Amino acid sequence: MRFFIQELVNGLTQGSLYALIALGYSMVYGILKLLNFAHGDLYMVGAFVGYFVIQWFGGSTALVIPVPLLLLFMFLLAGGGVGMLGVAIERFAYRPLRDAPRIAPLITALGVSFLLENSMLLLFGASFRDYNTSAFIPFSSGIHIGVLNISLTRILVIGLSVILMFSLRILVDRTKLGRQMRAVAEDREAAEMLGVNVNYTISMTFFLGSALAGIAGVMAGLAFNQIYTLMGFVAGLKAFTAAVVGGIGSIAGAMLGGILIGVAEAMISGYISSTYTNLIVFGILIVVMIVRPQGLLGRAPLQKV
Amino acid sequence: MKGRIITAAFALTALVAAGCGSSNSSSSTSSAAASSGTSTSASTKACAATIGIEGPFTGDVAVLGQEQLAFAKLAVDMDNKANGTNITLVQGDTQLDPSQATTVTQQFTSNSKMVAVVGPAGSQEVQAVGPLFGRAGMAFITGSATNPDLTKSGKNPTFFRVVSRDDLQGPQDAQYIVTHLKPKKLMIIDDQEVYSTGLVSAMLPVFKKAGITVDHESVSQKVTDFSSIVAKVDPQTTVVVLPWQVAANAEQFGKNLAEQKKKATIFGTDGTQSSSFTIPGSYVSAFGPDINSIPADAAIATAAKAAYPKYGTFGPPVFAATHVIDEAISSVCKSGQTPSRANVLAAVKGTSEATSILGQPIKFDSHGDLLGAKWFLFKINDKGQYKLVQNS
Repeated sequence: MRFFIQELVNGLTQGSLYALIALGYSMVYGILKLLNFAHGDLYMVGAFVGYFVIQWFGGSTALVIPVPLLLLFMFLLAGGGVGMLGVAIERFAYRPLRDAPRIAPLITALGVSFLLENSMLLLFGASFRDYNTSAFIPFSSGIHIGVLNISLTRILVIGLSVILMFSLRILVDRTKLGRQMRAVAEDREAAEMLGVNVNYTISMTFFLGSALAGIAGVMAGLAFNQIYTLMGFVAGLKAFTAAVVGGIGSIAGAMLGGILIGVAEAMISGYISSTYTNLIVFGILIVVMIVRPQGLLGRAPLQKV
Repeated sequence: MKGRIITAAFALTALVAAGCGSSNSSSSTSSAAASSGTSTSASTKACAATIGIEGPFTGDVAVLGQEQLAFAKLAVDMDNKANGTNITLVQGDTQLDPSQATTVTQQFTSNSKMVAVVGPAGSQEVQAVGPLFGRAGMAFITGSATNPDLTKSGKNPTFFRVVSRDDLQGPQDAQYIVTHLKPKKLMIIDDQEVYSTGLVSAMLPVFKKAGITVDHESVSQKVTDFSSIVAKVDPQTTVVVLPWQVAANAEQFGKNLAEQKKKATIFGTDGTQSSSFTIPGSYVSAFGPDINSIPADAAIATAAKAAYPKYGTFGPPVFAATHVIDEAISSVCKSGQTPSRANVLAAVKGTSEATSILGQPIKFDSHGDLLGAKWFLFKINDKGQYKLVQNS
C-alpha cells in the first residue's frame, strides 16, 4: 500500500505539471483551433526564469531572502514573463496568420518552437542547470511514514497545481473575461459583433496559458532539479497527449488527461517496468482515440446542417 | 502590410540566427579567416589544412557535443600556436543521429580541402559513416565511440579511437562491482541508447555468473524525474548501475534516492563523470582520466575550464584525437609535403606519442584501437570530488 501511495504521489507530481501545460494547449486550441507546438518551450523558458531568480538572490546555498519570498518571486516572474512572451508570440507569429490556411500557423508554431529552443541554447549553452532545491527546501521536510517519503517540494507542486487549475476553472466559468473567452471559442465573428474585443481576449488566453506553462517550468525545476534547453519537447508532447486524451479544448479534460498520464506513467514504471512506459501510455492514447475520438471530456463536434 | 514584412523579416533573421547554432558546416575556430574555411594567415600559410569535427552540438546530448567541440577548438588553437600551422576546424552537427552524421560526412568528404575528421561521438554514427570515410580515404578519430565491432568488423579501414572498448570496460566495471561492492541484488538502468545498452550487455553476464539478482530497467535520457523507478529500489538493492551519458540525470537519480531515503550506491559510467554529478559515495568508471589530477595537463585544464566550465570525460579524449590529427598534419608539412587525405592518414596510422592529455601514450594497432587503452574508476568523496580508485 505504501509503495502504491509513493507511486501515486510521484505520478500526481508529474501529472500536475502535464496538466498545467495541457491547459495552455487546450485553451489556445479551444479559442484559435491552433496546436501551439511552442507551448512546451514556454515551460522550458519558465524553468530558466526560475533558475535565474535563484541565482539573482544569491544561489541555492546562499539565499539572501527567505524561501517563501524566493518562491513568490520565482512564480511571479516566471508566470508574468512567460505570459508576456506568449502574448508576444501570438501577436507577431500567429495573429498575422489568423485567416491563413490552418497549416500555416501550425508550421509557424513549429518554427517558434525551434526558435525558442535554439535561442536558449545559443544564449545559455547546452549544460544542464541545477536548482539544487534540497539546499533550501530540505528532503527532511514533508511527510515521512515508514518507507513512505513525500517531500515538501512535491506537496507544494501538487497543491499549487490544484489551486491554479481550479482558479482557472473559476476564471473561465464565472468572470467577464471567461465569458468572453468562451464566446470567442464558440464563434469568433459572432462574439466580435456582440462587442467582444477578440484580439484582447485571444491575447489574454495566450497570457494565461503561457503563464501556467511558465509556473509549471519553475515547479519542474523545484521538483526535478535539472533543467535544460530541450526539456520542453518531451513535456510538451506528453502534455499535448494529455490534452487530447482529456478532450482538447476542454479545461477539465486537460486537467484529467494530465493527471491520468502522469499517474499511468508512475504506475507502469513501478508495477511493470519503466521500459514499457511510453509504449503503454501511447497505447492508451490510441485506444481512447478509437473509442472516444473527442477525448474523455471533450464534446463531439456539432453537425451543421 | 509594412509591419508584417518587418515582422516576417525579423522572424526569418531570428530563425537563421538560431539555425546557425545547429549548422552542419559552420566554422569553429577562433579566427575570422577560419570561418570562411579559406585561411589566409600570412605567417602560417606554409602548413594550412582543413579538418572537420562531427558531434552532437544541438539536440538531446548537446551537453556532450558542446564539451567535445570546446576541447577540439582548444586543441587546434594550442597546436596551431605550438607548431606554426594554420589548421581550420569545420564543425558538423550530427545530433547523435546516424542519418544526420551521414549527411555531414557526405559534406565533409566532398570538401576537397578537408583532410581528416574528429568524431563522430556515437558508435551508431561510426557504423553509419565508416564506409563513407573509408571510400574517401580520410582518417577519422573518435573520442567516445566504444563499440568493439567498430574496429573488429573491418568495415571501417580509416577509423581510429583514443578510448577503450566496451568489451574491456563493461566486464571490468561489473567485476569491480561484484568483488568490491558485493551486492546480492542490484538494479541496472540503460538509457535506451546504443552506448548504454552495449555496456549493459557486457556487464550482465558477469552479474549472472556471480549469482546476483538483477533488476534491469530502461529509461529515456530525456526523462528528468526518476522517482517512480527509485520507488522500486528495495532495501536489498544495494547498488544501482547507471551507464548513462548525461551526468545531470545521474545527479537527479541520486537526489531522488535521497528524497525517498534510499541508501543504494550509484555506479555510473563515462558520461556521468562530470562536475554535474557529485553524489557522495558514488562510483564512476570512465574511458578518460580526470585531467585535473595530471600535472602535465594543468595548462589545458585551466584553458578548458575557461572554455567549458563543467567539462567531464568527453572533452579530453577529443582533445587527444584532435591533437593526433594536428600532429599528423604538422609532420606531413615538416616532411616537405602538402597535407592530403592519403599522407595525413598514413601519418595518423604511424602516430606514436609518448604521452598525451589522457596520461598515457597514444599508438594505434592495425585495427585503429588504442594500444594499452586505460580504464579509470573514481569514487566521489563527501566534498563531491573525484578520487581515482583504480585504473588499468
